[in-house]
Amino acid sequence: MSVATESAPDRLTFTPQELLESGSYEEPLIAGGVRCHGGFDSTGAYRSPRMVHRGPAIDAWKSQLARDGHGLIEISKALMPPQYPNVDQAKLLLRNGVRDPIVRALTIISIVEGFGAVIRDVKVPDLGEWVVESVEGTALAHLDKGLFEAHARDESGYREEGGHKQMWEAARDTALENPKIPGDVLMRMMGGGGGGQRGKAERPFPQLDPTLERMLTMMARVCIVEVFAEGTFDWGERVLSDGEVSAAPDAAGGMVRNIRADENPHVEYLRTGLSEMRARTIRTVDGKTIAGETVIDGLLHGMLHEMTRSRPRDQREDLRESLGEAMKVASNPKALLEEFDALESVWTPPETTGFEPSTEAA
Amino acid sequence: MRRTGTVTRLGIYLYLLYKVPAWKRKLLRQPEHTDEELRPLHDRAANAILAAATSMRGVMIKMCQAMATRADVFPPEFVERLKECHDSVPPKPWPVVKAALERELGQPIDAVFSEFSETPIASASLAQVHIARLKSGREVAVKVQYPDIEDIFRTDLRNMERGVRAYEWFDPQPLPLLPLIKELTEHVGYEIDFRREARSGARVREMFAKNPRIWIPEVLEEHSTGRILVMEKVSGIKITEKAQLLEHGIDPEDVVQDLMSVYVQMILGAGFFQADPHPGNLMVTPDGRLIVLDFGLSKELPEGFGMGLFELMFSMMTFNEASMMRAFKELGFASKTGDDGTFLLIARRMISRSDSGAFEGEFTEEMTDELFDAIREDPVVDVPSDFVLVGRVFSFLSGIAHTLGGRANVLQAMGAGGSRG
Ligand SMILES: Nc1ncnc2c1ncn2[C@@H]1O[C@H](COP(=O)(O)OP(=O)(O)OP(=O)(O)O)[C@@H](O)[C@H]1O
Ligand SMILES: [Fe+2]
Ligand SMILES: [Fe+2]
Repeated sequence: MSVATESAPDRLTFTPQELLESGSYEEPLIAGGVRCHGGFDSTGAYRSPRMVHRGPAIDAWKSQLARDGHGLIEISKALMPPQYPNVDQAKLLLRNGVRDPIVRALTIISIVEGFGAVIRDVKVPDLGEWVVESVEGTALAHLDKGLFEAHARDESGYREEGGHKQMWEAARDTALENPKIPGDVLMRMMGGGGGGQRGKAERPFPQLDPTLERMLTMMARVCIVEVFAEGTFDWGERVLSDGEVSAAPDAAGGMVRNIRADENPHVEYLRTGLSEMRARTIRTVDGKTIAGETVIDGLLHGMLHEMTRSRPRDQREDLRESLGEAMKVASNPKALLEEFDALESVWTPPETTGFEPSTEAA
Repeated sequence: MRRTGTVTRLGIYLYLLYKVPAWKRKLLRQPEHTDEELRPLHDRAANAILAAATSMRGVMIKMCQAMATRADVFPPEFVERLKECHDSVPPKPWPVVKAALERELGQPIDAVFSEFSETPIASASLAQVHIARLKSGREVAVKVQYPDIEDIFRTDLRNMERGVRAYEWFDPQPLPLLPLIKELTEHVGYEIDFRREARSGARVREMFAKNPRIWIPEVLEEHSTGRILVMEKVSGIKITEKAQLLEHGIDPEDVVQDLMSVYVQMILGAGFFQADPHPGNLMVTPDGRLIVLDFGLSKELPEGFGMGLFELMFSMMTFNEASMMRAFKELGFASKTGDDGTFLLIARRMISRSDSGAFEGEFTEEMTDELFDAIREDPVVDVPSDFVLVGRVFSFLSGIAHTLGGRANVLQAMGAGGSRG
């Protein structure tokens, strides 16, 4: 096959067109009447979009990193905060006709997925100028040359082809039979009138070129969000594939499984790129240098520490704020709330993130 | 009555202004006027309207302002000229204001206020604003409606409606002005009802109660009536004064962020919004809080509008034309020819005017102008007036954001870009 030889493992440089190439499918993926990306091969297995070259490319960059004796960063699954409500709680709500919280959660997931498109707007600075060692033939060299664009298209869809946004909508609508979308979804997603934090926090590494700092911050954040999404998606798959609460357990569960498959390359290219940067030396604006490791670990540690604490708390508060109201549709709201609370699982974030500034290189 | 006379004369003048040259051409069997040739006519017409409005004040000025918001109906020259209607109104003499105040309060001024500044800090089309101090010691701003405004409102509207009916009777292919007058009437009616303004302000105030960076002045209900608003006094830097903001150590980008977050939450989140974000209504306190004033023109959006608008922007961003069409319909766009493809042409024209050739989430003034041009030039699409109002708000915001060196990106203000992790 010509495809295989073109993407031989030693090949490290690709064109944007190649990284966006999906190849052909035996059968396209249609979700909720909308043509989506990806499709099925002759064995009926799902194939993610834009993977003809992107998959082998990521593998090749990873092997190169290992050959050069550098580690690949690993965000521990133990850091992944559990979804609130948990699977049992969610099923309990649905069994009792309390659908709004679940419909709202699924809708917000679909919108946030769609917002993933903004990764294409991340500016990539001239890495040759700011990184001491060469970045030729790395994931870093391909960020704005196909990788960000492929990621953006996976999440939000592109032209007539739906992406994860539309796939989540389809999963929601088949499983819960075109539920009414609560009118407050957007308001709740935006934090419901509360101030929220200003987007612009203290700069973690003011000695870096601002564009580079913004790009690395965004990559680290998205990488963490993608890893954490595993937990959310696992929750979604388990809830929507349960025939007791889902009208289309196979179709809806399968759809979430496809989405999860597509997410894999996102985590992989991001952690490869971050690891490549971690193995290099970065020039600062005042003419000095700083170890990539200090920057990358610093960013990851700060964000992981914050997010493992704020996220479960925010999610719980968010849900409970309107739970009483939502439960009014149940026959016995009081008893339901008690049962709901009894299913609650406790979770405390691990003490360490694995990227503590003091720890030695992994 | 003098007002009736002025409006009638204006109507006849406008009619002849456009029709005489057209008749001439018909007689001489020349082709019809092009847009280019009509431009000086528009200019003269707008001048005449402006002059009449300024001499008549009150409702006519409001009408001009309202017409200036409908770039989808009126030619650009018109709209530009009519925008000048703002704030250029001399205040009413104190005795008149005092009498109005006391009639509304039902008691002498000093029974309620310990101080009252006779010179207003602002005088607009329907009301003027004075600074005062309540007997409790609290400093307040008092918005007093001009005494005869309601009567004037009714007379003017009756005249205008008559004028339009006459025009429609004369003109074989009239512009559909009657529905427009109805809508403008509705809007001006909102602005005259200060109880409504008080309720709207309170509603938005409640919406942002938990946000310490947004300040919406409280209306003191016990002293307010349908024609008087007694409000918490605010003071701040006009939002477009970038240099002053910087002098106070305020980052203009933060201001843009707060501004966008307020409007996006009102429009897409709550479906209820202050539809008048001109710089006179927006201030920033020296410690960086955003003040939003003037809830006279506030509007409830139909259910699902926010989601529809979001879907439209999202589909524009991803070039997904099928979902663009769906979103247009959801928002209430209707094609008079049955060909929904027209919506796409409009969307393409808008996108083509964005800086990057792709829609990234900001409705710039250029894009909104393009939208209105498209609708005016090819009136086969019924555009929901809510959309026009919202489009105008976003284009206003874009103008302010650009003045401050930022961007009015709606999708970003909704949280795209990872601010919510
Ligand atoms: N609470 C307040 N504290 C201080 N000043 C105020 C207050 N309310 C209004 N003002 C001042 O009065 C001006 C006019 O008020 P407002 O915008 O409510 O009137 P308006 O008649 O609706 O004006 P327009 O239609 O021209 O916007 C404002 O621009 C502001 O300068
Ligand atoms: Fe995704
Ligand atoms: Fe992803």
